[in-house]
Amino acid sequence: MKTVWQIILEQYRYSRFHFAVGILVALLPALAGALLLGVSGWFITAAAIAGTTGAFLNIFVPSAIIRALAIIRTAGRYGERVLTHDATFRFLTGLRDRVFSAIAHSNERGQRSGLVLNRLTLDIAALDTVYLRLVVPLLVAAILALLLALIWWTLSFQLFLVGSVFLSSWAVLAWISFAKADRKNARREDAASDAIGLRAADLIAGRRDLAIYGGLNEAARGVSIADDRQAKAHEALEERSTWLTAASTLIGQLFLAAVLMAAVLGAASGGFGIATAVGLVLVVMALPEIFSMMLPGLAGLPRIALAARRTVNRVWAGNAVQSVDQVQEIDAALEVGTDAIAFEKVSFRYPGATGNVIDDVSFQIRPGEVVALSGRSGCGKSTVAALASRLVTPDRGRICLAGRSLDSLPEETLRQSVTVLSQRAYLFNDTVAANLRIAAPLASDGELWAALEKAALGERMSRNAEGLQAILGEGGVGLSGGEQRRLALARAFLTRPDLFILDEMTEGLDEGTSKEVLDRFNSHRGSAAVLIVAHKKCELDLADRIVNLRALQAASGEEVR
Amino acid sequence: MNKALDGEAVINSEIKPGIGQSTTQENNLLRRAGLLLVLSDALWIVQAGLIASALASALSSLSVANGREVQLAFSYLTLMVLMVGLVAIVRVLLQVTAQKRSRFAARQIKSRTRNELLNVAVSRSPALPFPTSGAFAVHIGEQVDLLGPYYQNYVPQVMRLKIVPVAIVLVTLWFSWLAALILIVSGPMIPIFMALIGSRAKAASADRQEELTRLSGTLLDRIKGMETLRLFGAVDRTREDIRRAGDAFRLGTMCVLKIAFLSSTVLELFSALGIAFCAVYVGFSLLGEFQVGTWGAPLSYAQGLFVLLLAPEFFAPLRAFAVAYHDRAAGLAAQQKLAGLIDETGENVACSTARSLKKRRPDQFFFSPPTVRFVEVSVIHSDHPIFVDLNLEILAGETLFLTGDSGSGKTTLLDCVLGFHQPAKGEIRIGDHRLADAVVPLRESVMWLSQSPRLFHGSLKANLIKGIRNREGVSDEEIHAALRLAGAGELVKRLPHGLATQLGEDGFGLSVGEIRRVALARAAMRKDAVLLLADEPTAGLDPQTAADVINGLATLSKERTSLIATHDPTVLRLPGRKVDVAKLCCRAELAAT
Repeated sequence: MKTVWQIILEQYRYSRFHFAVGILVALLPALAGALLLGVSGWFITAAAIAGTTGAFLNIFVPSAIIRALAIIRTAGRYGERVLTHDATFRFLTGLRDRVFSAIAHSNERGQRSGLVLNRLTLDIAALDTVYLRLVVPLLVAAILALLLALIWWTLSFQLFLVGSVFLSSWAVLAWISFAKADRKNARREDAASDAIGLRAADLIAGRRDLAIYGGLNEAARGVSIADDRQAKAHEALEERSTWLTAASTLIGQLFLAAVLMAAVLGAASGGFGIATAVGLVLVVMALPEIFSMMLPGLAGLPRIALAARRTVNRVWAGNAVQSVDQVQEIDAALEVGTDAIAFEKVSFRYPGATGNVIDDVSFQIRPGEVVALSGRSGCGKSTVAALASRLVTPDRGRICLAGRSLDSLPEETLRQSVTVLSQRAYLFNDTVAANLRIAAPLASDGELWAALEKAALGERMSRNAEGLQAILGEGGVGLSGGEQRRLALARAFLTRPDLFILDEMTEGLDEGTSKEVLDRFNSHRGSAAVLIVAHKKCELDLADRIVNLRALQAASGEEVR
Repeated sequence: MNKALDGEAVINSEIKPGIGQSTTQENNLLRRAGLLLVLSDALWIVQAGLIASALASALSSLSVANGREVQLAFSYLTLMVLMVGLVAIVRVLLQVTAQKRSRFAARQIKSRTRNELLNVAVSRSPALPFPTSGAFAVHIGEQVDLLGPYYQNYVPQVMRLKIVPVAIVLVTLWFSWLAALILIVSGPMIPIFMALIGSRAKAASADRQEELTRLSGTLLDRIKGMETLRLFGAVDRTREDIRRAGDAFRLGTMCVLKIAFLSSTVLELFSALGIAFCAVYVGFSLLGEFQVGTWGAPLSYAQGLFVLLLAPEFFAPLRAFAVAYHDRAAGLAAQQKLAGLIDETGENVACSTARSLKKRRPDQFFFSPPTVRFVEVSVIHSDHPIFVDLNLEILAGETLFLTGDSGSGKTTLLDCVLGFHQPAKGEIRIGDHRLADAVVPLRESVMWLSQSPRLFHGSLKANLIKGIRNREGVSDEEIHAALRLAGAGELVKRLPHGLATQLGEDGFGLSVGEIRRVALARAAMRKDAVLLLADEPTAGLDPQTAADVINGLATLSKERTSLIATHDPTVLRLPGRKVDVAKLCCRAELAAT
């Protein structure tokens, strides 16, 4: 629940003006709705008295008020919806941005973060209910309750007493659903929904393997079990919400009965006229509609709380990570003749792993030198590439780039002096130009074409009717695997770093394409040093020197001994 | 509108419901739930009568202002109030029961739909095309969830909409035809206006949904490529892009919502005006200014108040219906998508073969390596013949290497042995059995290593023992032996929790080579298997890993009938017969000449 408060506070701080105006405007239709019935009841009773006694009654003012209230209620409802939604969407846009930057600054990698994010975008979309369904209806109900209590107080104490009892029952109801939300079942439902998706995906993706090794039926049963669990939790939550609604309806109805009694008695004791009494009864008739507006929000609270917690945790966790950009430059002077990159007794261990992937590794690459790192898959080659490009930081030891410690380099300098080409190079669902300009935002169209030309894509791209403005599908669909790799190469050709890191760049490409890509890279690299991480022969052939990572670790291990 | 609804109901009751649709029984359940709601609303008419009569008696006694009569009115008042309270409790109970029933029906529909989808997934041969796992997961998860609110809310509300407003108009008509006319005029106008605005809003909201998908798609795209963005120092520039996209989306959404809100505003306007005109009419006629609209006698105070009290309840079902209408739109869209998914598979839900897989069978079927014979087998793949009259025999215990260019049918041939493809003609015999009769026990007696093996959510150990019959009797030592044989002994030591390490989707945390080795270990765990099938076992592996896998295969193939599809010369150095699938003289082109 704390995180729900946090979201409310955040939205309030985001734009106090919009926050407050939304609530004020939302009061209009609520008040007009209650008054419409109240004034109507008063009017017909007064008319009946005037009709029988012949007393004078100004009929035009009340009937005008009634029509005016009808219009205000309508216009107010429209204005309220527009304003509150606008306020919420402003806030959510800002929140989305913060979540993105939090993720950008965290060190998460791997496919699971995709799942997390997918979840997160749904969570953020779900948070619109916090203000729209929770804050606005609750505050409107509270303000209306206070106004009513004040009016009753001035009219009769009995009435005030009856009114307060029922208004407090609504308050208690709201409190119960807020404080005693069924978080357990909400979590269960959530987990079961996830399980349905994951297990179904697993079943489809692994149909062949399941048919042989696991039994498809067993996997299908797994989904059914998750479905059953989801249905049970859902049922529990819905049942709760049904009783909540029922309780609210009952309060409204009994309130009506009680106020009927109190108002008539009040009129009998002469506190106010019978017409006013009828008006008061009819106002109470309009209340359930206003007070029940908070119910959907309250019933959905446990689910919202989960979404809020995930979002808040994400944004806060992101803030906790220290931004590397703030690290001050320590030694600005570049030493001439130092190594392009040097590992000094570097060790690294993945969180949760028992042993170091990289253990006490030292090696150097001189400027302009091409060094290949070999070793069987899983021995930590790619980790070396990630360390060298500061995607992960070493647990022990030091990495120096052109004589300067890697962890003291400002992000911008680092990215300008190191370019990584990996098999994972990602192409965005955007134009060709936008994809290329990720590497060089200020590059002219001519420079982009030149880079494409160098990567042997110029001819292919000029065949597109839209040229550089052609949009690539997600993951670069529309281009063949080799073309995608060459586009990534073209992107790299827009940079002029001192060090290139080739992380299994040609993995998954056939012999001919690999060779072509490598040749083109080699002619572009100029005097830059290159660290190649590969097991394919054609990549290793490019190197001046091949270092076996396993031997390196063993050797350094012996040195220590 | 009602006509269309009846049409839906007829379709549902006469034929077996399509995917995601309700059965007759469920429909009846939902209708009965709707009737309970109607009954609860009808009781409001009683309550309104009680309240009107109580207030009328109070008015008459108070305006006469005689002490004795006030006393009389007091006991009458108490009686009325108590009855209003009692009826209120009954109404609430009716509503709770109605919701419980409609929830139950919705739950049944959802569960049945999921099971139908699963049946399709299970009965469809794994070798045939199927929607992607992600699409299927979304359909069976979120899309099915959308059916719930549709059935649970919409169908009962339709019932309410059909009966309650008519009943209230009839009751009003009894007292005053003019008041009834006011309701009739303002009521049906609402659906007309809403339909006008709604059609525009619907198109716009579909656009918006697409926009949202695009926005979250963009976000997801940028996150997936985060590593690339960081490596090029482009993170902050991308943030700016995303903020702009978000703002554009917000403005677009607001434009759409403004239209959408208009439809509910129309509803609001007419219901407010309806109540206002009723009040003004009743007031004027009580005043004596205005004497039309009744059946002769002028409207009494009690009657006038009663009419006024009923007016809001006339509009209540309309509003509830408008809310439920959104659920309907979402539900129908989901139904369409689910039907689309089923169409894509070309499978008929009704004739799923899932049941046949559940048949009891003996624990072990094959005891020694069998011969595998293809007798005049023809296989047709989406109207394109792959094999025509193929004859091939693999002797018991023999190792056969299938070579040939990619696309020559190596994988199809292996799939035939596993029963994933049904031959259009001819038969495949495994030992003394026809494959068609023995496919289930065969699949349990085969070591199979596919081109892209999949591991499953769960621990490494669970993955390894998943394929064997007697899971309890497996010692960790046996598992380690299988892993060593597959060259994965070292790998386990590196994992944080050894055999208990949880593997995620796609064997999360493992490289392609590691997954291949674990899959080989999984195959090796099936010690009583009589057949070994491997499809490009060394593709994409570095030489050392490939050597491990080949050593493992060499050991495993010794005691089994083996078929290994490969073009890797190192694998082909193992002893065994080699057959070029392309030259089996069975290809369609060759057969044609």
